[in-house]
Amino acid sequence: MSIFINKESKVIVQGVTGKEGAFWTQHMKAMGTNVVFGVTPGKEGQNVDGIPVYHSVRRGIQDHQAEVSMLFVPPKFVKDAVFEALDAGITKICTIADGIPLHESLEIRKAALSCGAMVIGGNTSGLISIGEAMLGTIPYWIERVYKKGNIGVMTRSGSLTNEVTAEIVGGGFGVTTLIGVGGDPVPGTRFAELLPMYEADPETKGVVIIGELGGTMEEEVADAMEDKIFTKPLVAFMGGRNAPEGKRMGHAGAIVSGGRGTVKGKTAAIEKAGGKVAKRPSEVPTLLHEFFG
Amino acid sequence: MNVFEYQAKEAFRDNGIPTPRGVVIKSIEEVESAVNEISLPCVIKSQILRGGRGKLGLIKFVKTMEEAQKVAKELFASEYNVQILLIEEAVQMDKEVYLAVTVDPVTSKAMFIACAEGGVEIEILAKETPEKLITVQVDLAEGLGAYHINNLIFGLGLTGDIAKQFGAMARNLYKTFRACDANLAEINPVFITKDEKVIAGDGKLIIDDNSIPRQPKFPLMREYFDTQVEYEANVEGLPFLQFDGDICLMCAGAGLTTTVYDLVSDFGGTVATYAEFGGPNYTKAVRTMELVLQHPSKVILVITFGTIARADVMAQGLVDAIKIHKPSIPIVTCIRGTGEEEAFKILRDAGIEPLTNTEEAVQRAVDIAAGRV
Repeated sequence: MSIFINKESKVIVQGVTGKEGAFWTQHMKAMGTNVVFGVTPGKEGQNVDGIPVYHSVRRGIQDHQAEVSMLFVPPKFVKDAVFEALDAGITKICTIADGIPLHESLEIRKAALSCGAMVIGGNTSGLISIGEAMLGTIPYWIERVYKKGNIGVMTRSGSLTNEVTAEIVGGGFGVTTLIGVGGDPVPGTRFAELLPMYEADPETKGVVIIGELGGTMEEEVADAMEDKIFTKPLVAFMGGRNAPEGKRMGHAGAIVSGGRGTVKGKTAAIEKAGGKVAKRPSEVPTLLHEFFG
Repeated sequence: MNVFEYQAKEAFRDNGIPTPRGVVIKSIEEVESAVNEISLPCVIKSQILRGGRGKLGLIKFVKTMEEAQKVAKELFASEYNVQILLIEEAVQMDKEVYLAVTVDPVTSKAMFIACAEGGVEIEILAKETPEKLITVQVDLAEGLGAYHINNLIFGLGLTGDIAKQFGAMARNLYKTFRACDANLAEINPVFITKDEKVIAGDGKLIIDDNSIPRQPKFPLMREYFDTQVEYEANVEGLPFLQFDGDICLMCAGAGLTTTVYDLVSDFGGTVATYAEFGGPNYTKAVRTMELVLQHPSKVILVITFGTIARADVMAQGLVDAIKIHKPSIPIVTCIRGTGEEEAFKILRDAGIEPLTNTEEAVQRAVDIAAGRV
């Protein structure tokens, strides 16, 4: 089992004929992802690696069933591509675009919330249910990072995810589904919104979150644990514990949260809710072993 | 990206928000004409990006030309790297109010925050008297309605003409927020003057970093940065910060670089520069090293774990950078990810030991900086 996507999920790719889109679509397919069609306006009738291309999502949906869309679309076109997918009834969307304008991120997330859909990203490398399916640009072939197991992983970063996941695998664990929610100030989907899916997945025995300073996503995870929405073991690692104040942190996060946003505050919230917090990546497997013996 | 107060106020005026009259100057020679234009008494406000300018003595009220000259000279010479002054008319103020528009990432809406007691930092208000804050959320697709404004002005207890003026200000602040792709548009304080005018006493505007390409009105300015090298790096899109420590970080990815910063501090080391050459910059090792070498340090620490940012490309870039710049200080590397076997070979061939464990690499760099190796 896995969450969000598995080998049965019917996936479409918007922006399939671009250089990046074509390259990573082939990788997604090679790993087992069930890609049913691609979309590039003006290129209907072509195919990419045997995948038929349509002018629009609606035109493709007439011939094929699909519930997931992967976007290989530049930042300024993401809003339109998300709205197009939602309009055609797609319920799960992933965008890796780095540079989506903030106000468009607000509209994208709001539109998805309004119709009960989920958008993962932007500014992420995507998500992977190991051995089943992948969306985005995840190098599933690096075995010391992407190994099948029983731990769900949620992350806000890219390189740091490789670092921490390599430690998880090195400690004898493996991963069910890894989801990069992305590093933007308004990600399409927040950590806490994925927890019910990990809770319901019998194969996921625990979850690791890779967070960082700023925002309130880690505190929302603590709230979900306090409210018993998530009851499995949880280990967090967060970057920015020693970051000098005022150098990177914004203003708005601190306003809406009344002092929330520091790694110190996030650590206290997660520990109070029964989670464990690693001070460095190598402590993550140690803390998982404390839970699982 | 945070912009200066005078830039925020220009954006406010463009969108119909009244501000005090002001003149921007960059040298002591301009003080006299600026003060004559505004007329005495006036306020001299240092244009820097950090908060708490009042407490730091960087905002001064002056009554005479001699005083204005003396204060301007002191401010330009202060330790806070003041390069721009705003000379502004003094306002006979009766009351101060807080007003801002920001984003709520959870509800995914714009959010007004207002408080009848302004002038104080909002963090302090939020902590000490959260019940006095009024928040009003606006769905961007729906747009701003009369009911949003009513909830603000009646929530603050404003009446009559002042309520009308404040409502117009709130509408125009929302317009500014939208037009500038802002993360935060803040007026703290809003002045309510003795003759019942509502004007923006201060201005803060944070432009969303992702929206900078479509906000040509706000180019990166040299004056935003303490050093030339930080400015140059940021113009080229290389995240770069300068500190007073010993270890030069050349890493990839914001999360990993921040984590390396944490580990260096934990292991007793100090950071000289924080430079990221990951993501779209993974082929820029040569330029990144040129920038980091402009600041004295004892060791360069390179830690990456890239996927699209291939390890072999980054290792080759590093070797090229060493050949070109011939750094006199040692380099510790821990370059992993896609193509790492090839990367290790490239480094070994260049006489560099490729470490593969982040914590070991950080410890090595800290030891070198401390003279233990």
